[in-house]
Amino acid sequence: MSFALEAEGLTKTYGAVRALDDLTLKIPAGGVFGVLGPNGAGKSTLFRIAMGLVRPTSGVARLSGAPAGHASSLRQVGAMIETPRYPPYLTARDALKMLALQSGAQDADIGGWLERVGLAEAADRKTSTFSVGMKQRLGLAAVFFTRPSLAILDEPTSGMDPAGIQEIRELIRRLAAEEGATIILASHQLDEVRRVCDRVAILSKGKLVAEGPVETLAGRKPALRLVASPVAQVLEVLGDQGRADGPDAVLAQIERGEAPALIRALVGAGVDIHEARWREADLESAYLDILQAKEPADAR
Amino acid sequence: MLVDALAAERFRLLKDRGTVFWGVLFAPIAGLVLTIGGELFARRLMKGAPPIPVDLVGRMVKALAGGASPVMGLFVLILSAAVLAGDYRWETWRLLTPRNGRVNLLLAKLATAAIAVAVSLVLYALAAALGGLFSAATSGGAFVAYRGEALTDLAGTFAVSWLQLVVLVALAALVGVATRSTMGALIGGLVFAAAQSMVAAWMHEPSLKALLLPAFSGDLLKTALLQDRSVVDEPLPWAKALAFLLAWAVGLSAAALALFQRQDLTRE
Repeated sequence: MSFALEAEGLTKTYGAVRALDDLTLKIPAGGVFGVLGPNGAGKSTLFRIAMGLVRPTSGVARLSGAPAGHASSLRQVGAMIETPRYPPYLTARDALKMLALQSGAQDADIGGWLERVGLAEAADRKTSTFSVGMKQRLGLAAVFFTRPSLAILDEPTSGMDPAGIQEIRELIRRLAAEEGATIILASHQLDEVRRVCDRVAILSKGKLVAEGPVETLAGRKPALRLVASPVAQVLEVLGDQGRADGPDAVLAQIERGEAPALIRALVGAGVDIHEARWREADLESAYLDILQAKEPADAR
Repeated sequence: MLVDALAAERFRLLKDRGTVFWGVLFAPIAGLVLTIGGELFARRLMKGAPPIPVDLVGRMVKALAGGASPVMGLFVLILSAAVLAGDYRWETWRLLTPRNGRVNLLLAKLATAAIAVAVSLVLYALAAALGGLFSAATSGGAFVAYRGEALTDLAGTFAVSWLQLVVLVALAALVGVATRSTMGALIGGLVFAAAQSMVAAWMHEPSLKALLLPAFSGDLLKTALLQDRSVVDEPLPWAKALAFLLAWAVGLSAAALALFQRQDLTRE
C-alpha cells in the first residue's frame, strides 16, 4: 500500500507548547482523507511540516515516500495552508502566472482554471479587493492548476458564509472526482468531512486519537437520548454507559434491545421520562465522544 | 529550479509598480529634475554668464561615482525591503516555499534586486547625460570630450557603485529574514548605510579598519580608478578594497540564505 503522507513519531514544540506529540499517522494514497481536531490539535502544524514550512523537533514526515519539505516531494503536491494570501498588487491571473512560473509550469491553463473556480470575471481584479470566499477559490485553483497528485487543504472553508461553504465543498468534491488526486482535508466542519471524505483521522493535543473510514467512526456510537428528571438519577442508573447531553437530557450508549429494560429500571427508580428518542449515530457525536475520552483508538 | 524562481520574481517585481517607481525610477527622475531645476536657477542667477562646456561622459561618470550615496541607498533599500522581505509582510511564503527550494527563492530575490539596482544606476547615469543635453541646448554650451578612458571609467564606476549597493541589498536580505519585516530591512539598512558613510568620512588612511567599511572601500576603488595616474605617489590597495567589498556582499547573502533555510515559517 502506498501512502500520500506518513508521520512517524513526529513531535513539534514551540517553547513549552507541544503542537505535535509523537504523532504517528499514515494517510493512504487515493481518495479524500479528513483530518479533524479542535483548535490547537496540531493539524496545521502537521501540514506545515509536510510542506517544509516548519521543521519537526523530532520524528520523520514523508510525502509519497520522499522526505517532507524536499523539492522532489513537493513537486507533486499542491497545498492551501490556512486562508490563502497573495501579494496585493497582483491580480488573480497574475497570482496564478507567478505561481506557474515559480513551479516551472508555464503551460498551465490559467484562464481555464479561473473559469473552473468561478473567477473568470474577476481574473483581472487585484486580489486585495477579493472577499474571503474569492481568495479561497483562487487558492483552490492555485492548488490544482499544476495538476498535483496530492492536494493538502487546510480549513478550505474557514471564515466563509454558509453559501460559500456549500460552494467550496461542491468544488472540492468535483475537483477530487475530475482530477483524481489524493486530497487531505483539515476542517472544523464535521458535516463537510462527512460529505467529502472517505477516511478520517482525529487529532487531539498533537496526538492521534482515532483513525478509520468515516462510516466506521460515525456508525459505532448509536445512543438513546432521554429527556428526564432528575438527570443525576439517570446518570447513576446508567453508570459508564451514560453522559449528560445538556441540562435536562442524557445520552445512553446502549444497544437497541436494552432500551425497554432501561426505561423500566429508570421508572422503577423514580425517574420521570419526558422523551426517549434514538439519536442516529453521526460523526459529530463520535468526534465529541472520542475527544472526551481522549484515548488512542483505532477504528480500522 | 533557480531559473523558474528568477522568472517568477522578475514577473512579480514588474507588477509591483510602487516598488518599481520608488526603488528603480525615482532616483534617476529626481536626479534629472534637480539637474534641470538647478540649471534654470543658475541661469536666472547669473544672467549673461558665458555658456559652460558640457562633458556628457564626465557627467555620467560623476553620476555613477556618486551612485552609492546614502540617498541612493535609501531607494535601493526601499526596493530591497519590498523584494526580499515582502513575503513576510504579505504572509505569502506559504504560497511560494512549497513550489521551489528555499535557496532558489531567496537567491532569485537577491538576483532580481541586484539587477533592478543595476538598471536604476544605468538610468541614473542616463539622466545625468540628459541633464547635460538640456544644459547644452538651453545655454548653448559646446560639447567637450571626456579627459580619460571613457569606457573604463564608466564601467568601473558603475561596477563599484553597483557592488556597494549590492552590499546594501544583501544586508536588507539578512535583516529582513532575521526580523521577518520590511521595516526591519529598511531601517536596519538605513542605519548601517548612514553609520558607515559617516565613519568612512572620518577615515583618511586606507588601514584595514577603514577598508572594512564598504563605503570607504568603494570610494577608494573609485578614487584609484579616476585619479590622475601621473601624480600618484604610491598605488592604492584597490585589490584589498575590492576583496572586502566582495566579501561583504557574499558574506551577508550567505548568512541570509543560511538563516532562511533553517527558519520556521509558522507565521510569516
